[in-house]
Amino acid sequence: MSQHRSLHPATLLLLGSRHVGIVLFTVFALFPFVWAASVAFSADTTYMWVFPQAFIPHRPSLDWLVRVFHEIPLMIYLRNSLLIATFTTLGVLLLAVPCGYALAQIDFPGRRALFALIILTMMLPTETMIIPNFLTCIHLGLLDTWTGTIVPNIASALGAFMMRQAFCDLPRETLDAARVDGASEWQVLWRIAFPLALPMAGALATLTFVAAWNDYLWPQVILNSQDKVPLAVGIFHDLTGEFSTSTSLLMAAITVSVIPVLIGFALTQRYFLSSSLVGRQAI
Amino acid sequence: MALPGVRPATGWLFVAPFCAVFAVFILWPLGYNAWLALHDYFLQTGHTQWNGFANFVMLTWPEREFGPALKNSLIFLVLVPMLQIAGLGLALLLHRPFPGAGLIRALCYVPVIIAMSIAAVVWRQAFAADGLVNSFLATFGIISAQNPPLWFSRENLALYPVILFAFWKNLGFYMVLYLAGLQSVPREQHEAAILDGANRFERLRHVTLPALQPVILLCTLLATIYALKAMQEPLYLTRGSAHTTTALLYVWNAAFYGHQFGYAAAAGLIVTVICLMLALFQFRLLGEHGRLRQGNAT
Repeated sequence: MSQHRSLHPATLLLLGSRHVGIVLFTVFALFPFVWAASVAFSADTTYMWVFPQAFIPHRPSLDWLVRVFHEIPLMIYLRNSLLIATFTTLGVLLLAVPCGYALAQIDFPGRRALFALIILTMMLPTETMIIPNFLTCIHLGLLDTWTGTIVPNIASALGAFMMRQAFCDLPRETLDAARVDGASEWQVLWRIAFPLALPMAGALATLTFVAAWNDYLWPQVILNSQDKVPLAVGIFHDLTGEFSTSTSLLMAAITVSVIPVLIGFALTQRYFLSSSLVGRQAI
Repeated sequence: MALPGVRPATGWLFVAPFCAVFAVFILWPLGYNAWLALHDYFLQTGHTQWNGFANFVMLTWPEREFGPALKNSLIFLVLVPMLQIAGLGLALLLHRPFPGAGLIRALCYVPVIIAMSIAAVVWRQAFAADGLVNSFLATFGIISAQNPPLWFSRENLALYPVILFAFWKNLGFYMVLYLAGLQSVPREQHEAAILDGANRFERLRHVTLPALQPVILLCTLLATIYALKAMQEPLYLTRGSAHTTTALLYVWNAAFYGHQFGYAAAAGLIVTVICLMLALFQFRLLGEHGRLRQGNAT
């Protein structure tokens, strides 16, 4: 009976349109990467602008990719991105974990007001904060330093919010048992509560790392030296400046810079895509 | 109420490091911007001078072109329905498990995690006069190959590639939110509807969509705030040429190219206030004691 139903023309049509829909969305999401990679791997540039030939490498070669490493200080940008993103992530966790814990588990005057403030600022445009923060950093002598790049980004309202959500879920009895045993609140946090909130901390770390890795505006404002800028800034400036004339080289640079991100994403994708974590953050 | 051995001071101690950085780099800029909006800032000396509401008055002058920038930000709002319809559509396509579903979800999410500045370089190439998009459109006879449109230099055209780019960049994010929402739709309701003979579209209309209402509302608010805040997309794609200037990009240009920090702060304050009102609205609805949390909305 059910087999007969699945052969119904309307069902077949629906199944067909479902597959077409999936393919169309996937192609739309990926075409810039496929195009960039195919141009980067082509020695023959004649078809680079022609649909649909542009999506297949012509006379495949690695020449452009090799040239990228000679012409753009990719390894320096990569190191800078790694450093900035790692320390931003550590900073966010170090501040957000105790803050979220206190907001969730400790009664203190001002708790509700602080939480409301955190939620409200989550939605405000951070771009308008760049000018005052730039002036602050001038006064603090943080111009063109990694400290100045990292510190203004570590008070993450989203981070405090996410960690609070995670700590709210913990059973009170577990924490109280440790408190009765004489553990200090600091010990309760790091030895008992934090391990239980690890999935959320992982999600927060991943989100923060990616945001810091991709950030362009703030590092661009605060850093002047070419040997300090991260990938997102350095590549963009090189590609829109001196290399904008060679599309092949540009696509090769993009391909090379996207590959580490794709590998990192493949390893951490559950933090982005798992519905339980996403649901807890946003809904 | 009181916990064994937990004093309020401990709570303050725990939030103190966060609050210190938060106050200096989040709250101070907000306050300083509001103050700066009422002043002239002299970059050479760092002096400021009260000028009443002159900055706000200047914003209304036609030759200052803040109006067109605001208009572009409003046009950007077409992103909101685009992202909801496509995000929900994609989530519905990928909701039921099939071999490779996880991979497809991940692939659709890739644009979200790529640096916008780098992805924009490819898009700029794709929309060049002799670029891939024009070649694609010419293949299907939508435009003529001899006289291709110059996307970024035409006043009435330039904003649309920018919006499409923003759509491409964010679609995966909304897909994931809607996928999470679809998980929470009660299976029993679907089964009951099937028993009642409801077809797919009736089930979508009468079971799925009502159950998704809080998610749709949340996503709509997030997308609205996102669209109003758009500035990086036009900055990367067109270097902020006049036709694609959004409200926040206007703020950016006024500060970093015009060096009119007070004037820029006034324009920024307007955007901030709009976002603040939307955030308050969201907080009322979706916050801890919001109406949707208490299950009042059906």
